[in-house]
Amino acid sequence: METIKQIINPYMLYGLCVLGALGVCLALPRRGISPQVLGALVASLAGGLLLLAMGAANPGSLPNIYFYVFSLVALGAALRVITHPRPVYAALYFVLTVIATAGLFLILSAEFMAFAMIIVYAGAILITYLFVIMLATQSPQEGEVEVLTEYDTAAREPVAATVVGFLLLAIMTTLAFRGLPDLKTPAPLQADSLLAEMPRKIERALDAAGTLPEGGKVKLDDANRAVVDWTTRQVTVVAGGSESQVAIPDGLKASNPDRLGFNLLRDHPGTIEIAGVILLMAMLGAVVLSRKQVQIDEEAKMKQANSLAAALAKAKIDNRTGEGGGME
Amino acid sequence: MTHGTLSLLAQTGFPASMAQATLAHYVVVSLLMFVIGLIGFLTRRNLIIMFLCTELMFQAAGIALVAFGRFHLDYTGQTFVIFVLTVAAAEASMALALIVLLFRRKESLSAEDWQELKG
Repeated sequence: METIKQIINPYMLYGLCVLGALGVCLALPRRGISPQVLGALVASLAGGLLLLAMGAANPGSLPNIYFYVFSLVALGAALRVITHPRPVYAALYFVLTVIATAGLFLILSAEFMAFAMIIVYAGAILITYLFVIMLATQSPQEGEVEVLTEYDTAAREPVAATVVGFLLLAIMTTLAFRGLPDLKTPAPLQADSLLAEMPRKIERALDAAGTLPEGGKVKLDDANRAVVDWTTRQVTVVAGGSESQVAIPDGLKASNPDRLGFNLLRDHPGTIEIAGVILLMAMLGAVVLSRKQVQIDEEAKMKQANSLAAALAKAKIDNRTGEGGGME
Repeated sequence: MTHGTLSLLAQTGFPASMAQATLAHYVVVSLLMFVIGLIGFLTRRNLIIMFLCTELMFQAAGIALVAFGRFHLDYTGQTFVIFVLTVAAAEASMALALIVLLFRRKESLSAEDWQELKG
């Protein structure tokens, strides 16, 4: 309890959990008149109050406005994903969630992941979802007004599900808050440690700044690292057999993709192999699943072709007998 | 804040005012999104929406991973999000292929039409 109190008043946390559960329960689609707008308002009120109350307990560490905007858009769109009766709109609201999450990633200085998220999720996965939604919905008949299907307009067991969900939320926040107060503000990113691993990057920066001697190369040690003195921020450059010390430009730093690339390829090389195998298996699976359908189509096509050939042959015979009749 | 810290912040292109949200904020956003996805998975009866809700839960896990990685200064969190993204893409392609097959059999996306599978 002591550690939770450093973040938020526990009674307030559990009260807002109850309020949120009430709101989500009301917002879920159901038969007849459903107070969806009211429920969504109550739920977003509870979510917003929860985020605000966490700052109030600790006024020194209020998040900036972008955090509130992105997280509220992400959570509101997520709520709309699970409450909208039309699947296409649910998928589009999910795109909004992905974009707002990318905004949160930007605040967390994870630029590469933010854009990879938008490209892969909003660009690839969601398009697949939209295709399948359009493939797998019956188009309305001529002159018929499109009606929502029964399984989209009524939720299954909304009360039990929200109670279970928010009970889980209360337990998880209680447990998660135990160790969190020690990690209040993010430490500044270490600027330099990776730069020595990228001698070509240093070389290009020196070249652009005009401080690289004619025909000069950054000196490498045994492990192919640049020889850098971090106390003075100077790198050793070899030009024409003589070594000299050149200052690294101030703005030069390892960017987020640099760091992520080193982490992925140097520290976790097996990850890529496993990801490749998973993607290959998914591709094989998708091919096998859809191949059956193609076989059925082929059979049907064969049958059609056979019947067409038979009809053609019959017509030819009829024609010939007809011609024969004419000659007589 | 000392001059040294400030210059390091300027060096890394990370304005001091942007670094204020605590880890607890991100964890709460992540947990809320996870719970919304869970409730959606339990209550919705459309197979496609159910799979969308699993994607929501993946997103929530991604926020938590990136936030913990940022606060611990460990890039493994982001590496793991790439892996989660891969699994999500593979899962989406397989699941959607299955859903199309199921739809062709019963002309309906309702999960309850396949109740005989519970044995």
